[in-house]
Amino acid sequence: MKSVDLKNGVLYGKPFYWIAVLLLSAMLILSLLWAVTIGSVDLAMGDVYRVILFKTFGIGDAQIYGSGSMSDIVWYVRLPRLVLAIAIGASLSTAGVVMQAIVKNPLADPYVLGISSGASLGATFAIILGVGTALGNGYVGIMAFIGAFLVSIGVIFLANMGGKATSVKLLLAGTALSSVCSAISSFLLYVKNNSSGAMEAVMRWTMGSLASANWETNQLLLITTIVGVCFFLTQYRTLNLMLLGDESAITLGTDLHRWRILYLVVSSLMIGFAVYAAGVIGFVGLIIPHIIRILFGTDHKKMVPLCALLGALFLLWADVLCRTLLERTELPIGILTSMIGAPVFIWLMVRKKYGFGGKES
Amino acid sequence: MKITTQQLRAVLGNTEILRGIDFEANDREFVGIIGPNGSGKSTLLRCLYRVLNPSGGAIYLDGKELSSYRVKESAQKIAVVAQHNYYNFEFSVRDVVMMGRAPHKRALDRDTAEDYQIMRQSLKAVGMQDFEERSFSTLSGGEQQRIILARALAQQTPCLILDEPTNHLDIKYQLWLMDIVKKLDCTIISAVHDLNIAAMYCDRLYAMKHGEIIAQGRPRELLTKELIKELYEVDAEIMTDQEGILRIFYHSYHKREERSE
Repeated sequence: MKSVDLKNGVLYGKPFYWIAVLLLSAMLILSLLWAVTIGSVDLAMGDVYRVILFKTFGIGDAQIYGSGSMSDIVWYVRLPRLVLAIAIGASLSTAGVVMQAIVKNPLADPYVLGISSGASLGATFAIILGVGTALGNGYVGIMAFIGAFLVSIGVIFLANMGGKATSVKLLLAGTALSSVCSAISSFLLYVKNNSSGAMEAVMRWTMGSLASANWETNQLLLITTIVGVCFFLTQYRTLNLMLLGDESAITLGTDLHRWRILYLVVSSLMIGFAVYAAGVIGFVGLIIPHIIRILFGTDHKKMVPLCALLGALFLLWADVLCRTLLERTELPIGILTSMIGAPVFIWLMVRKKYGFGGKES
Repeated sequence: MKITTQQLRAVLGNTEILRGIDFEANDREFVGIIGPNGSGKSTLLRCLYRVLNPSGGAIYLDGKELSSYRVKESAQKIAVVAQHNYYNFEFSVRDVVMMGRAPHKRALDRDTAEDYQIMRQSLKAVGMQDFEERSFSTLSGGEQQRIILARALAQQTPCLILDEPTNHLDIKYQLWLMDIVKKLDCTIISAVHDLNIAAMYCDRLYAMKHGEIIAQGRPRELLTKELIKELYEVDAEIMTDQEGILRIFYHSYHKREERSE
């Protein structure tokens, strides 16, 4: 009676979970150490680590490792970019898990629901029209957060119009808002820049790129990522209850209204800053939670940490691929994640199991 | 635990579903609510378990008004098994039952060994201890309902509300579920469709029609031919069998026409 395929998650049970956490953490660190040695400029592995050692702990020869092109490549080009990939991967996949819980639908994702586009519109407003400069240094990120938050509220409002939200309405609302936002931001970018620069800017915002990584943005992004992930690590019980719906949650002692808004704010913060730092990178929040759900089940106690780790690892490797796949030129990372993510999305949509709208409400 | 309502009213859309309900369930009493579809049974229960806001009147738990409890506090007092649960996501049986511990947890509390122990005891109480790692959606309707009952048991509340939980269940599971519930040491309030089941298990019954309580009392006194006719517009015979259990038999419309000829 207890055959494996009836169990929830292929790798059910505590030991597997802890092994997975340890394994993913180890892989993440090792990948980081290995990926930092890969690049268009050929640097000796030992030198790369000596630069990092000097920069972080001040150990080593300042003459060789503290300045010069080798030091700059490692410390100002490669490492910030990898750190950025890790932070964005963790942010987007955690935000994906949370969005899926909020709308009770495994098809939700910051990109699919148009939230990333909203963030990108907010950021373009800030950069091109100078909206929100009064907000201080991180104003572009804050504007991206506001854009993300407004769109997420908008999608949920549109999808709930005239009855309960179904998958179909949710996706339509997301697609529509996403188109509106990206059209406006592309328009702004086009009008503002001369034609050659415009294409580049539009590409960066709509297809995503980690190329402009620097420590200043990374700092902001690391803060929102760490705070966001840590916050949602503590929220597994409410996230689980969200999937049961409002009524069951009330009988189990939680009124979801307040939490939903709070979660939207925190996840919009994570998405906003991720988009501000690297443009729109799609489907990460869809693929990663889905893999984890197949392997470990729906319980958010495991979902949140595993998704953050796997998301980080995934985007790190996606970036390495983008840099090495084509010779001489670099593939925008959003193209790669969409090439992997869109088929997964279609497969999810086709699978009947996920009650595509009708049965639940 | 004692639950009372005073002149409880509820409006849905433009229709008044509850028109001044005075209801009472005493400590450790098994109270059944009977009545035809649309009589307001479910609405009354939904007010009691807080998913519906009454438009007038008041509900008291042990003399204190329900609305003054925080949602978490009332979930420590009342657990609910409602009609059917369909989830868009796949939970394991363990995950579902563990959610019953949620009302007893503060924001940063982790699950303790005691919580797991309570989860296992609850599964055992409904005879599903071997299903802990199964995926909830692969269970049959009857099994799912037992898991939801186990979740309610894991809440360890002094009151349990059953909102027609035995709908869609075959007779074996209906009796099974009521047997488990009957053994519990707590106040039970249940909407019941089947009058025979109501007669077998309930200490006291309320009869509802058009949003009002038209009668209440012990099953033996309340369930009469006349009342059943008034409630359901159905002719019935009532007997007591050798074991002293009330049995209700219905006449079909078909037969009635033959007789009147």
